Amino acid sequence: MGDVAATIKIMPDGVERDLEEIKAKVADVLPEGSELFGTVEEPIAFGLKAIKATVLVGDLEGGTEPVEEAIATIEGVESVQVEEVGRPV
Amino acid sequence: MADKPHMNLAVIGHIDHGKSTLVGRLMYETGAIPQHVIDKFREEAKEKGKESFAFAWVMDSLKEERERGITIDIAHKRFDTDKYYFTIVDCPGHRDFVKNMITGASQADAAILVVAATDGVMAQTKEHVFLSRTLGINQLIIAVNKMDATDYSEDKYNQVKKDVSELLGMVGFKAADVPFIPTSAFEGDNVSKNSSNTPWYNGPTILECLNSLKLPESPDDLPLRVPVQDAYTISGIGTVPVGRVETGVMKKGQMVTFMPSGASGEVKSIEMHHEEAPEARPGDNIGWNVRGVGKADVRRGDVCGESKNPPTVADEFTGQVVVLQHPSAVTIGYTPVFHCHTTQTACTLMSIDKKLDPKSGQVKEENPTFIKAGDAAIITVKPTRPMVIEPVKEIPQLGRFAIRDMGMTIAAGMCMSVKEKK
Repeated sequence: MGDVAATIKIMPDGVERDLEEIKAKVADVLPEGSELFGTVEEPIAFGLKAIKATVLVGDLEGGTEPVEEAIATIEGVESVQVEEVGRPV
Repeated sequence: MADKPHMNLAVIGHIDHGKSTLVGRLMYETGAIPQHVIDKFREEAKEKGKESFAFAWVMDSLKEERERGITIDIAHKRFDTDKYYFTIVDCPGHRDFVKNMITGASQADAAILVVAATDGVMAQTKEHVFLSRTLGINQLIIAVNKMDATDYSEDKYNQVKKDVSELLGMVGFKAADVPFIPTSAFEGDNVSKNSSNTPWYNGPTILECLNSLKLPESPDDLPLRVPVQDAYTISGIGTVPVGRVETGVMKKGQMVTFMPSGASGEVKSIEMHHEEAPEARPGDNIGWNVRGVGKADVRRGDVCGESKNPPTVADEFTGQVVVLQHPSAVTIGYTPVFHCHTTQTACTLMSIDKKLDPKSGQVKEENPTFIKAGDAAIITVKPTRPMVIEPVKEIPQLGRFAIRDMGMTIAAGMCMSVKEKK
């Protein structure tokens, strides 16, 4: 069973929140066995931006849930939503 | 190219039956993999003395490419045929990823079921067929794969076709209407061109079958539904919910209602990618502002719809579920968390109405006392707090759910009917 890549949309708790701070913490909080591949910012609306993070997770029990829970603990994160999963290409 | 209609295609089947290889082959045959990646691979394969062209390796090279930083979007795969452009909805092996197939950005419109001719119908073949039925994927294409490993045996192909047809019949697919194609994703037989290795087969190729798929009903024509992902207070604007339009079209000036809260007002402005938009369509990620609706009126999991056809709040609903894994038995009173659109709501199992026989698709038992892993059933559940859900026949995008408990995806299902909360 190989890796699975998950595209995860992370919403901050407000327009003023420093996204760099959140991005810097994502790699640190990820549970063992998962790995941050990269992040980009995506403009949403009215000055709000989302962070799109690609995380490599194993094809394992629990799926993306442990990763979602870990990212949700970062200060300033309002919500975490997995948009897409797939074997990485 | 942008004008081609879009479909989401799931590639399902038992582990190691060649799903990734088929996806790789489809991307290659349709020009979605750059030629230089293929060339590089060919050279490497020659050096290593491999006689065959393994697509898993091509995919590896492509992964390396991506890792060099061209894009971070490595989970996303797409390719074009003459008629459509397809996004692949991947189905990792572990059941816990089923949740992502239901709550993710794209729900599958059709599926290719990959069955290795060398192995035939296996446990996950059955599970995925059942799951696709439960998730409302009604168009299937069967790739009887790894034909090269059977010396292109027609007998083997016919045996697998017979077994899979039986399985399809069990869950209510009309096997006679489902195309079967003998393939080798590895060698490229019958994927884009009819293969001389299978002279006994004169049916369509995989690409021809993909072109013959029917487009699902356009979500634009369904009632407006925008599940709220989050709600913000932005100075100078007011309350701004954000979310993805699932169905219908939202327009500036339209009267909308948030359910279950019931808050209503006129859409003052819509923005996407930080630009003001006069309207928003299915798939658009938007933020919008509604006159007179405050932050206390909107929360994650609420659904915005047109006031004259507001989202349905369920007092109870019935669903068809397939139990994927559970350490013991599921009985009345069980209260796991239902993941449906953006809501996560604990719901109590009020009754198990019918257990379905996977062998016939018929009712096997009325009012059974329990169901367990591998069972399919019709159940009635009651949300522990108000929740929006719609019958899958009316608004499929808001009718599918995953049931989670103990860190596992216990079951997947679809809503059949809703008893509205008054």
